[in-house]
Amino acid sequence: MSALAAAIQLLGGVALAPLLPGTIQSLKARLQGRRGPSPLQPYRELRRLWGKSLADPQPTTIVYRLAPCLLAAATGLALLLVPIGGISPDWGLGDDALVLVGLLALGRIGLALVGWDTGSGFALMGTSRDLTLAVFGEALLVLAIMLAALPAGSTGLGAMSEAANGSGIWSEPAHWCAAAAFGLVVLFETGRQPIDNPDTHLELTMIHEGPLLEYAGRDLALLQWSAAARHWIVLVLAAELFLPHWGGFGAQLVCLLAGLALLCLGLAVTETAQAKMRILRAPALLAGGCLLALVGLASWLAGGLA
Amino acid sequence: MSGLDWLVGVAVALLAAGSVAPATRRTAGVALALQALGMALLGIAGALVLFGAPAVGSGFADGLSPRLGIDGLTGFFLATIAVVAVPSLLFARGYLAGAPRERLLVSLSAAFLAALAAVVSARDPSTFLAGWELMTLVPAAAILVQRSDAAVRHAVFVYVAITHVGGAGVWICLLALAHYGALSDPGALVAQGNGVQALVIVSALIGFGTKAGLMPLHSWLPRAHPVAPSHVSALMSGVMIKVALYGLIRVLFEWAAPAPLWAGLAVLGLGLLSALGGALYALTQHDLKRLLAFSSIENVGIVALGLGASLVFASGGDATWAAIAFGAALLHVLNHAVFKALLFLAAGAFERSVGSLDLDRVGGLLRRMPWTGGAFLVGVLAIAGVPPLNGFASEWLTFQALIHAAFGPGLGIGLAAAAAAAGLAATAALAAFAFIKASGLLLLGAPRRAEVAEAQEVAGGMRIATLLLAGCCVVLGAVPGLLVPSLMRLAPQPRELPTEPSLLVPGSGSLPSPWLLLGIVALTATIWLLRGSRRAAPVPAWACGQRVEPALGWTSAGFIKPLHLVLEGVLRPRREITTVSEHGLVRSVRYRGEIPHLFDTALYGPARRAAMRGAGVARRIQSGSVRAYAGYLLALLLALLVLARTGAIG
Repeated sequence: MSALAAAIQLLGGVALAPLLPGTIQSLKARLQGRRGPSPLQPYRELRRLWGKSLADPQPTTIVYRLAPCLLAAATGLALLLVPIGGISPDWGLGDDALVLVGLLALGRIGLALVGWDTGSGFALMGTSRDLTLAVFGEALLVLAIMLAALPAGSTGLGAMSEAANGSGIWSEPAHWCAAAAFGLVVLFETGRQPIDNPDTHLELTMIHEGPLLEYAGRDLALLQWSAAARHWIVLVLAAELFLPHWGGFGAQLVCLLAGLALLCLGLAVTETAQAKMRILRAPALLAGGCLLALVGLASWLAGGLA
Repeated sequence: MSGLDWLVGVAVALLAAGSVAPATRRTAGVALALQALGMALLGIAGALVLFGAPAVGSGFADGLSPRLGIDGLTGFFLATIAVVAVPSLLFARGYLAGAPRERLLVSLSAAFLAALAAVVSARDPSTFLAGWELMTLVPAAAILVQRSDAAVRHAVFVYVAITHVGGAGVWICLLALAHYGALSDPGALVAQGNGVQALVIVSALIGFGTKAGLMPLHSWLPRAHPVAPSHVSALMSGVMIKVALYGLIRVLFEWAAPAPLWAGLAVLGLGLLSALGGALYALTQHDLKRLLAFSSIENVGIVALGLGASLVFASGGDATWAAIAFGAALLHVLNHAVFKALLFLAAGAFERSVGSLDLDRVGGLLRRMPWTGGAFLVGVLAIAGVPPLNGFASEWLTFQALIHAAFGPGLGIGLAAAAAAAGLAATAALAAFAFIKASGLLLLGAPRRAEVAEAQEVAGGMRIATLLLAGCCVVLGAVPGLLVPSLMRLAPQPRELPTEPSLLVPGSGSLPSPWLLLGIVALTATIWLLRGSRRAAPVPAWACGQRVEPALGWTSAGFIKPLHLVLEGVLRPRREITTVSEHGLVRSVRYRGEIPHLFDTALYGPARRAAMRGAGVARRIQSGSVRAYAGYLLALLLALLVLARTGAIG
């Protein structure tokens, strides 16, 4: 069981992750009445980029060349912390939620230095916006994790997923608040509308895409894979911790698949229905999520509905 | 005498020899080496006591005869002082060589270290207070010896004035404790009732909080730390403010224990304010040393969050988590000492190479100074709190403590702890923002000044010092679990944790730090090999078809503009736009913007004006005329007589 979960963690994270943004793009196109790209389009792009040569802008330092590798490595390690079907396979890395947050932050910081290295204004613009939103996003992420850790009494992701198993948890208002707060985290971490627009080709509006502008070839492939793997991490976490799931490992796997499909559809619908927010309004949205999480905590501490 | 006594004796003798040795210019280096050796031995003695050797010297006494001793907590702080002092002294050898008044500065560094060690190993109020005052005054002297222009004199005046006004709290607290015999018998104060305990705790919070740089009592810190010589800044930011925290810990966890819940919540609140405020104002600075000084306030706040959580747990009866939170706070004391010393020393090296550290006018130093620049980057990652470096380990442990405090019981405490956890997350993000800005502007991109393009890497001890501290950041990040159990044993109610390299904390998914380090390094290297099979083509930066020109280079203010706009209501920036037009044609537009320090404008400014008004009134009374004074005496006499007559006195 644990071996199967480990295999899904690794193979799913590495190989299936690009399917998630691909599916969202495809669904979004359908919803908007276009034919759109196939869900497999991200794989084609990765294959194409992997075959191309690298570009080395002058003058840059090792920071520029190391950043994609560091981001991919941090994201790769984070994959191994995400529980699958309620099981956290033992890779020797534990399964702590805050370690996962730290690894995601490591990747973000590695990439944030790139803008300064190339001196490109568009990269710096994206970086400074990303870091601004991160101030609020990280607070929200920690609060959402704290709410999900309440029933388990632990920040271990396996225990948190186990505590959310079954329908009993849904009679707690705290869990509803946690799910809503984590929904905002999903939008922020995956860089989707209304916070960021992953499809934009207008450099002036870019957030997450900005620092990627200088890269080519395998570097860009690594960066794009990391973005896809980040989708996988955040969406699987959302499904494992905050969406309904029941029963043993097999049943939970089915729930996970259904949850991922539902989340992809949800993101596609949100992106279709919702325009991108003004960048300066997004922090208010995230701060609102923080308040919601605190309300959830208050309801839990006051004894819930009981 | 035991072996440990001898060790301490030799260490003190070496330090003393180091302070008098620089009689000639030649022996200055020898003196620094002697001091470093003495501090290293003292640190080893401290570490031995921390890891279980029996305490050295006497215990605490309330009398006035001088006593010294080392117990576990003192041992930890001595080891922390040594970890910072040894590289700083190594650095000072190259840094001070040829500086004006070099020998005096060398002697002063020994005096400073002796004062720091005296405070943490004092076992009676008189030694403690003497060491405390010296610890304040010696760095002030070191600053003035090196530079004494008007701006620096003003900074030193503010430093000495604020720390002395606040320092009154330390005197009141210590003398009250000694009066009630609470230094030697920690139960004595509680027996005196709540009022006395509250007096002691509040005066300790004000006294030690001022010196530790807790907001809103911090105003001296960002003024004094940047103007000191870099090795003194490293000691001030790395150790001196920690020694103030040592005093606070003694009072809250030992002498006035058990501290009431409100004290825990007050420490938590001060910590949250300092962490968020320090990080926010660090972000808005454009001078590297001022940025580092504000970041020290932030980190003292993080330590205070851990201490506050520990007090809250203890008052709720949860001894295990009280000990874990206590361990988290102490671990962050050590970690911050290491990376802040690293960053200040590196800043000194940069300053030595390029002059001014105005962030908007540096750039590209990583290529010119790869060793110092690389060490600086390690420090940046550590202070940004990302795995696998040491900053993450202590912040992770503090997060765990706050999150478990939020689990309740009790609505108010839970919400306070949750707000603190969210604040700590925002603080970490702000600190990362600030240090990405600083390291990007300093180390990356094109040089922005002629001197910067010609910068030379520093040599010898200056380089080794920063690399040594960078190594400490990695090691402490890899094996925090070997240290934390010993720190938890220092808590008032000690609890055990398995002594393993990883942090195996109950109620968490554990922090397997050595494996994280290994995983990140191995995976990055593997991906690097996968990627590097093809040669990269050197190209000019594309920048979407724009040319990357120095005149269009991003500035510190530009980089933080989005956050600045979001937080306009908090930061209250001032803007001034002057447009010069002639005959309806705009000739020039001048823009000036600054972010004033809110505490200065809203708190210290009014306080200073009120003090000046009070002084004006006093001057009118003190007219200098003999007749007026005779009148005052007569009025006093009459008033006393009236009071005696009515039976109010006598």
